This record gives sequence, C-alpha cells and structure tokens, in this order.
Amino acid sequence: MSTSTFPVSPTTGEPISTIARRSRLGLWLVIVADIAGTIALVISYTYLWSLNVNGGWAPPGATLTANQTNSTLPTTPSTATFAVEWPFWGILLVLIVATALMWFGYRSARSGNHAGLIAGAGLSFLVTVAVLVFQWIQMSTFPFGAGDGAYASAVLLLCASNIFHLFLLLFIGMGIFMRARKGLIDKTNWYQAQLASYYMTWVCIAFLLGAILTTFLVESPNTDPAIFGTFKQQ
Amino acid sequence: MSADTLIPEEPEAPTNRPPSMQRVRLWLQRPYARKVLILTVLIGFLLLPLAWLLLAGMNQTGAPASEIMKDIEQTVFVFTLVSIPITAFVFAVLVYSLIGWRQISGDEPPMQDSPAIRTNTIGVILWTVSSTLLAMFLVVWGLVELAQITANSYGTISADEQPGQKSSEIINVTGQQWVWTFEYPEHNGLTSDILYLPLDRPVYFNVTSKDVIHNFWAVELGVKIDANPGAITQTGVTANKLGTFNVRCAELCGMHHAYMQTQIQVLEQDAFDSWVRESGGKKTS
Amino acid sequence: MSVETAVETKTIFGSEVPQPPQHGAAGGVMRGLNFGTGLVGGIGLAAVAGWITAILTPSSASNASFAPMEPTYVYLAVLLGWVVGFMLGIGAFVGPLRWVVGRDVTHADAEYMAGKDLGRKRYWKYTTDHKVVGIQYLIVTMLLLGFAGLLAMLIRTELGMTWTSLFTPAFYNSMIGTHGIAMIIGMIVVVSGPLGNFIVPMMIGARDMAFPRLNALSLWLFVAAVPMLVSSMFMGGIQDGWSVYQPLASQAPVGMLGYQMTIIVFAISTAVASVNLMTTILTMRAKGMTWSRTPIFVYGIFAASIMGLYAFPFFQYSQILGLADRVFATSFFDPLNGGSVWLYENLFWLLGHPEVYVILIPSTAVALELMPVFLRKPLFSFNFAVAGIVGVVALSGLVWAHHMYMTGWAPAANYPFMLSTELISIPVGFLVLVAIGTFWRGTAWTRLPLMAVYAVIFNKMIGGVTGVYLSDVPADQYFHGSMFVVAHFHFMLMGAGLFGAMAGIAYFFPKMTGRFLDERTGSIGLWTAFVGFQITFISMFVAGLQGQPRRVLDFDDQFNLSNWISTIGAYVIGIGMLIFLSAIINSWRSGVIASSNPWGSKSLEWQTETPVPLENFPVLPVVTERPYNYGVPDPYEAELDSIDEDLTEKAGTK
Ligand code: HEM
Ligand SMILES: [Cu+2]
Ligand SMILES: [Cu+2]
Repeated sequence: MSTSTFPVSPTTGEPISTIARRSRLGLWLVIVADIAGTIALVISYTYLWSLNVNGGWAPPGATLTANQTNSTLPTTPSTATFAVEWPFWGILLVLIVATALMWFGYRSARSGNHAGLIAGAGLSFLVTVAVLVFQWIQMSTFPFGAGDGAYASAVLLLCASNIFHLFLLLFIGMGIFMRARKGLIDKTNWYQAQLASYYMTWVCIAFLLGAILTTFLVESPNTDPAIFGTFKQQ
Repeated sequence: MSADTLIPEEPEAPTNRPPSMQRVRLWLQRPYARKVLILTVLIGFLLLPLAWLLLAGMNQTGAPASEIMKDIEQTVFVFTLVSIPITAFVFAVLVYSLIGWRQISGDEPPMQDSPAIRTNTIGVILWTVSSTLLAMFLVVWGLVELAQITANSYGTISADEQPGQKSSEIINVTGQQWVWTFEYPEHNGLTSDILYLPLDRPVYFNVTSKDVIHNFWAVELGVKIDANPGAITQTGVTANKLGTFNVRCAELCGMHHAYMQTQIQVLEQDAFDSWVRESGGKKTS
Repeated sequence: MSVETAVETKTIFGSEVPQPPQHGAAGGVMRGLNFGTGLVGGIGLAAVAGWITAILTPSSASNASFAPMEPTYVYLAVLLGWVVGFMLGIGAFVGPLRWVVGRDVTHADAEYMAGKDLGRKRYWKYTTDHKVVGIQYLIVTMLLLGFAGLLAMLIRTELGMTWTSLFTPAFYNSMIGTHGIAMIIGMIVVVSGPLGNFIVPMMIGARDMAFPRLNALSLWLFVAAVPMLVSSMFMGGIQDGWSVYQPLASQAPVGMLGYQMTIIVFAISTAVASVNLMTTILTMRAKGMTWSRTPIFVYGIFAASIMGLYAFPFFQYSQILGLADRVFATSFFDPLNGGSVWLYENLFWLLGHPEVYVILIPSTAVALELMPVFLRKPLFSFNFAVAGIVGVVALSGLVWAHHMYMTGWAPAANYPFMLSTELISIPVGFLVLVAIGTFWRGTAWTRLPLMAVYAVIFNKMIGGVTGVYLSDVPADQYFHGSMFVVAHFHFMLMGAGLFGAMAGIAYFFPKMTGRFLDERTGSIGLWTAFVGFQITFISMFVAGLQGQPRRVLDFDDQFNLSNWISTIGAYVIGIGMLIFLSAIINSWRSGVIASSNPWGSKSLEWQTETPVPLENFPVLPVVTERPYNYGVPDPYEAELDSIDEDLTEKAGTK
C-alpha cells in the first residue's frame, strides 16, 4: 500500500513532512503564548512577594521572622501557614516520568516499534492521570484557603494553572494513544507524537518554575511596609 | 566649488556620479524642490503660534504657580517648537502631492507610471540622522527636566528645608471616594478639605488612598501623583504664587469621580499661620 | 493490527491521494450545525448552567463585605455556559474529537467544511475557507464598532449638554468603559481579521491558511466573546473605564464578569489567530517569494501577530486574577490582603502598549500597500519600511510603564521608560518617511483608498507628536489623566487606525465583494468624518490643556466651550460614518461590478479571478520579482547620468 511509503495529507495532498513542519512551527508559537502566560504568573508571584503590601503576603498563621506582621488580615483560621514544599517537587517528578514515557513512545514510533509507541503513549496518559490526582490532593489539602493573603492566592493560582495544563495533556495523551492504536501514528507519520512530547516537556518546565517559586521565594524579604518615593519621612 | 575641483578628491568613487554637494544643488534647482521647501516654511510659520497657544490654554486658571509648572510649560513650549519643522515638512509633502505633482482621477488605472524611485540615499540618511538627533534631544531634555522637577520637589533643597525640617511643611493627602482630606501632622494633626499652602515654602505630600486608586492633581502647581490604597507615594512642591487653584482627581474612581475636586489656597506665611491657629492647629515656629 | 484491504483515493490537484474511511455523508455532523444551532446550544447551556448554579448556591453565600454571591456565581455560570454551548452548537469541538478518536477528516469532509457548494449558507457555518472567515470577521467587526460608536454618540451628547444630566453617573461610567473596550477590541480585529484572513493567503500565493480549522475557531471565539461584553451592560456595566483598574473593578457590579470573560475568550481567539497567521506567512509563501519579495502588508500582519501572541496572555492573566479575586476571594489586587494595585497596572499595560501597535501597524501597512498602486511607483525604501516595523516590534514590549509614570510604583523607572518610549518614535518615523517618499513626485490617482491615506498620515503626525509630549515625564505630569490623553489616542486609534482600515476596505472591496465601493458616497462619508474628527479632537486637546480630567460626566464651566464644539464635531463624525456605512452596504448589494484587477495592481491577490475560487489559484504562482514594480525611469536620473558623463569626460581630459 502506498500510504506507508509516501504519506500525504488526505485533505490537501501535501506530503506529511510539510504538514509536520507547519504544525511544529505552530506548536512552538503556541508555546510562546503559553510562556508569556506563565511569565505573567511568575511576575504576579514575585511582585507580590517582594512588596508584601500591608504585611499581607504570608498566611496568618505562618511563623514570621523579625517584625514581619500581618495585622490587617481578617479572621481566618490561625492554622493557615505556608505550604509544604516537597509535594511541588513530587508532582514535577511524576510529570517528568509521564513526559519521558511520551518521549519513549515517540522514539519508538520513529524506529518502527509500534508496541513501544502504544505502551509509551498509554502509560504516559495513565501517569498524567496520577499527576492530576496528586495535584488535586495537594490543592485541596493546603493549610490555607483562597482568602488567606497574597501567598495563598499566588500558590493556588500556580496550582490552577498546573491543572489546566494537565487537562490539556490528558486530552493530547488520550489522542496519541487512540491514534497509535488505530495505526494513524507510525514509522512514517510520527509528528503528532513528537509534538506531544515537545509540549509535555514545556509543561514540565512550567511546573519546575512553580516549584522553584514556592520553594525559594517563601517569606517576603520586605519586612517593612514600603514607602515609595524619593524621600523618607524623618 | 565647481565640479572639476571636486572630482579628483574622490578618484575611486565606484560610479562617477556627481558628488553629494553638487547633487544637492542640482536637486534644489528642480522646480518642485523649492516649492516643497517654501511650503514647509509657510506651514511651519502657520503652526508656530501653537507654541504659545498651548501655553495660553494651560495658563487659563493662573498657572504656573510653581517652578515645577514652569518647567512643564517650558517643556511643552520647546517640544512644540522642535516638532514643527518635521510636521510642517510632512504636511507640505501631502499638500504638494495634491496640488503640485500631477494628479488624475477616473475609473481606469493611469496610463503613465510615475518615476520609479526605489530609494534615495541622501534623503534617507538625512531623515534618519535628523529624526535620531531630534529623538536624542527630546530624551536628553526630558531626562534633565525630570531631574530638575525632582529637584524642585525635594532634591536640591537645603538641609533645613528637607521633609520634617522646620522650614518645610508635610501634608498627608488622603483620597477617598469622593473627597480629599489634607492632614497637617506638624500642627496637631489638623485636617482640612481645602488644601492650604504657605507661599514660597517647600511642602511635602504623603499621598495615599482609603479605597480605590485616585490621582492627586494640583493643576496649576503641576503636581500629580496617584493615591494608591496600600501604599504611600510622595512628592513635593513649592508654591510661588498667591491665589486659589484647583485639586482634581485624575484617575477614574467610581461614580462621583467628576466631583472629586477641591480648592488650593496659597497664603502668605502670616495668613497661613493664622489659618492654622484658628482651625485649632499649632502655629509654625 | 488490521489493515483495510482497499483504500479509497481522491484526486487532489492532479495527484492520487489515499483517503481515510468516509463515515456517512461528507461533513458528518457538521452538516447539521450552523450559527442557529450555536445560538440554541449557547443559550440553552447558559440557561441550564445558570439555573443549576442558582439552585446549588446557598442563599447565605456572601463575600467579605457581605454582598450576596449568588448573582456572581449565576452570571459566571451563564457566561461559561454560553461560550461552551455556543462553540459546541456550532461544531467547534467536532474536529478535536474526531482527532482524539482517530476518525480523520477526508477530502470530502474538508471540502464541505470549507463551504464548497454551500452558497450563502457557508457564511453561517463553522467554515474553514479563509475568504469566508474574512467576510465573517468584517461583518462582526463592523457590528461591534457600530455598537461602540453609538455609545460614543451618547457619551458626547451627555458631555455636550452641560446644563443637565442625561444619565446617572453609574450608567455614564459604564458607557465609557464599554465604549472603550469595544472600540479597542474592534480596532484590534478590524484589519487583521477581515483583510488578514481574506487577503494575506492570496497575497502570498497560498490556497488557504496553515490551519483552516483554527481559523474558524478564532473567528467564532470572537463571535462568542462579543455578546458577553454587550451583556455586561445589562448587569450593572463596566463602570471602570476600558482599563478596569483594580481595586475599583472589584467594587463594580457583576457586569465586570462580562468584561473579564470577554477578554479571557478574546485572548484565546487572538492567540489562535496569531499562530495561524504567523505559520501561514512563514511556511506558505509562494515559490520565489523571498523576504524581499514579500509585500509590506504581510509584514504588517506578521508584526501584529507577534505582538498579539506575546502580549495578550498578560491581559488574559490580569483578568483571570481579577476574576479569581471576585469569585474565589483571592487577593491579588486587594491591598488589605497583600494584593497590589500596581501588579494589575503592570500586567494590563504589558499588553496595553503592544496592543496599540497591534492596531496601528496593520492599518499603516495597508496604507503603504495600496500607495504604490495609486501612485504608480514603487514603495519608497522598502528596507526602511521593514526596519520601521521591526523596530516597533522590538521596542513594543519595553515601554509599557509610560502609562504608569504618575502611579509612583517606581519613580526611578521613569527615566528608562521615558528613554525607550522616545526611541520608539524613530522607527515610527521611518514609516512616515516611507509614506512621504512614496508620495514624492508621484502622479496621484485620487481614488478613495489613496485619499484616505492622506487623512491617515495627517492624523498620524498629530497623534505622534502629542505622543511625544506624553512620553516626556514632566509634560505627562500635567497631561496624564486629562482629556489631552484622550485626544492623543483617538488621533492614533481612530485618525490613523480606523481611517487606515477604511482605506484598506475600500481598496480590497472589489476583490472581496466583486463590486466597487461607491466612490462618491464613500468619499463624502470619509471627508465628513474627517472634518468632524478634527473638530472633535482638536477641541478635546484644548480641554485637556485647560485641565479637564478624563472620564468625567460633569465639569467646571471653564470647559464648556471646548466640550460643546467637541460634541458638534462628534455628530459630524457620526453622520460621516453613517454615510460611509451606507456606501458599503449599497455597494455590496448593487455597486458597479469590478473586473478582477480593477486597480491594475501587480500583486498576487489581484491576479486571481473574482469571485475568488475556493482554491484561490488553480496553479500555484511563482514569484520572480520584487513587489511594487511600477514606474518609469526617472527623467532626472537621466539628467544626472548625462552630467555624470560630462564629469567623466572632464575627469578624463584632465
Ligand atoms: C510616537 C508614538 C507614541 C507615543 C510616544 C505615545 C505615548 C503615549 C503615552 C506616554 C501615553 C500615556 C499617557 C498617559 O496616560 O499619561 C499614551 C497613551 C495612549 N496611547 Fe500613545 N503613544 C504613541 C503612539 C500611540 C499609538 C500608535 C496608539 C494607538 C494606535 C496609541 C494609543 C494610546 C492609548 C490608547 C493611550 C491611552 C491609554 C489610556 O490611558 O487609556 N499611542 N501614549
Ligand atoms: Cu478619585
Ligand atoms: Cu503606550
């Protein structure tokens, strides 16, 4: 059959390699937009962290250094405190496993190992489900709620962004798996598995940024609610 | 300078085109060139009054009432002057294109094409250099003026006039939907909803807001800064003209934003002191 | 794996292409779906979602200031239900689902989705043909701009009637906010949407966009976003200006959710459209169309796409955070709880400034594109035009804080931002140079499209010069927040942007509709609007100089005169725009039939037949020369050459 020797797009008749090149570029551009969004999150987190407006960065129950106070926070449970750090890294680790599996599937597809492709994509999908579950558990067991100050808001938003990415990955992973089983991804037509691997890799980086922020930028350096301007009141 | 004397100076020019100066002179002899230039000058003179008109608009209610406002007006004046030539030139080309170079109407594309000028090195260089110089001038002017204004607000003022010293005045400005409150912390925390300022003395403002963002605009004094909830912004000014001026809120702050305005009264020191006394504050030393 | 024995093939442009199995009639479910089912789906799901949310929300739910939360939840559910239901109903999810389950689209399916043989029905469907999408964009954008224009008339009426008040302050504020954002959205789309989609693929010699289904997606997301914006007018409105500064926006009635959802959806639409346009331009140019042979309009659209792509996510996130503050009680922008108002301003203007170029660059580019055709000479210094566009893009992300000079967020940052802002006037100046260089010595064929370019350049000069005042911190200390700023950006957005778009639409009208835009009515409309425009906004400059703050419905008597004049001007604009609109509508229906290349252009898009066939070019074109090859040898060059010979002789004899 001619399909496997010279694959072409069924709708436009162009070679698959052309379609692949176009889609790869498209994906890179989508990632650019996604990066910009992630930068917006990082800016939000670091800016609020650095300002500590009204001493309202830390959740009310956090043990604070020096005279860092959060006086204006309303009556939220005093147990509210910073989140535990390791789950961020744990989740990232599991996601890296899922990504590696997708890469394995894609590599297998290119080398003609169809079983490897199906296994890689399928397992990647399952592990991504696990990541989503972990992320969900983490989010619902934070020692703070949405109203517990800027830190709480920023962390919850990072998690929400993670969850949004994970849903996308689930959709993609499911598609790659199903299509692999139908033989629509194979030795000559593997670009979609490649794109999935690329995108998952970017999502890992986004998760990594979140983990770095929540680990290294915890207590605000600004212990003195700022006065802005070029002179200080004497 | 004749062409003969110029040629030997550039013996290995790749083409034997006449040298630039010569070309410029030849260019000036073309009929349209002079006309465009004359038109530029004409339009430039027509635009010239703008430099004063803009200031006249700004001065309607008694500005400038401070050095800062004077600096601002000077900037506006200079910017208008320097942008007139380039604006006039562009307008002149537009006008001359319609009245000078041939124009046709009709339903069919013109039979005869225009000259195929793909570029013009001298013209492009002239434009680039002059627009860059212009931009540089504006940048430098702006940076210097900004430093100047900052200095006029608080920078270079002598030590005993710095914030908190006795020959200066600190005023806490608070915006709130939809009123301004001025507190004089050095006078028993006297508060007022009209801004009283002593003449010729540095005044420092700590500006903040109780709810949403407002903008403290002392129009004729050329002072403007946001009043942000959750932060204090600071600025300063020395009023140098007696009279009644306006404070307006210059940031949309909700329903009655339009009415969030009040007066500024610049008073002689004696009058200021007696206002302070009568309103229950303690007199300046 | 089971291998099917016989594979169908289909002949596409002369080659046999194997087809995936065809399930049912071509088009599948898409056959039954159109705008109507979209409306049913949207309204239905909105109603259901709203109803369920109302039931599930305990009536005691309230926020920190004891306001009941039920309206918020219900309105949000309605908006989400609308978007999802509408996209579902029109068939946006069919493609992705078919991809997941591996039921690939056949050639017959694709042709159905491109609207083949569907006649007028294809304009009401999720059609992938770029020409259909272009027309759809044009209609939706005109509706949106018309709506915003109506609000503008009401605003000016209120401001002109200085002796009384027509509207409550709350409604007035909601009008200026809605007017602003509707105009901004409309202007972002008005060139890139209709002309970017309809013209660009043809201009580069392609058969369609790179991702035709994404093209339909971007359009219909835009269509889904617009009603949400309008709906907010009925939910208390957007009372906070188009920039919806926090925390004022979190005080606002639930209508603010309409704004936030609009932006969130519109940002997706923009990102999708940008990715599509950029990929198309980068990978699908005809053979031989090197970068130096690519028309300037393509550069303009490309530049706008870059800026849309990197900048819109910031806007989107600013609104996501605002929505979270409102719905989930987070505190990104609530200073009492650790939030910062400057965070909002930074995120907003990180989009806000690039976005003004997203508006200006395409309409400048369309002006530059059509000038050579009507002046019958090449574009002056193509390289400078490209350099100008590149320079603007490069600096666009570095100037946002010139909108924040007076916020006090970082006084020291005013120095570098003043520098970068003033530098950007150099590349903008390049574009002006290219325009006047092209006018230079050109025989002007004074048809409507070219005449509009005169207006554009005039307005752009005024907008640009006043922009330079504003970019100067000391001067901005007076002008910020005043009517002066309003006049400045209207000169840019409307004076340069909208008039440029009108030029572009008049120019491409014969290709898009097969008919000429009526010259007489169109010109009367254009120049009436132009005159009104000058009256309105020059007197608005005066009001700003006198010290009138912007966004006020009432003001001191001192400002009466300039406001009266401004309002009269606004009515003149309104009349002019209506005349122009009537020219568009009448010409579309019964204008003079145009040949396929009525302007005698040498560009690829005009070499197609009109009406343009589905595949644009039966045979893909090959480009062999630079664009804008118009013109005859310059007589003065000949003169120079003769002097040249003279000099050479003299030099030789010496
Ligand atoms: C030479 C080019 C330009 C310069 C130097 C410039 C400068 C500025 C500055 C400094 C401001 C802030 C004023 C203030 O709020 O205090 C401003 C506002 C604005 N500019 Fe420009 N501008 C330029 C071109 C444009 C263009 C091309 C557009 C649109 C097509 C535009 C649209 C706007 C808008 C919409 C605002 C007001 C935003 C708001 O506060 O609502 N500007 N401009
Ligand atoms: Cu206010
Ligand atoms: Cu800007």
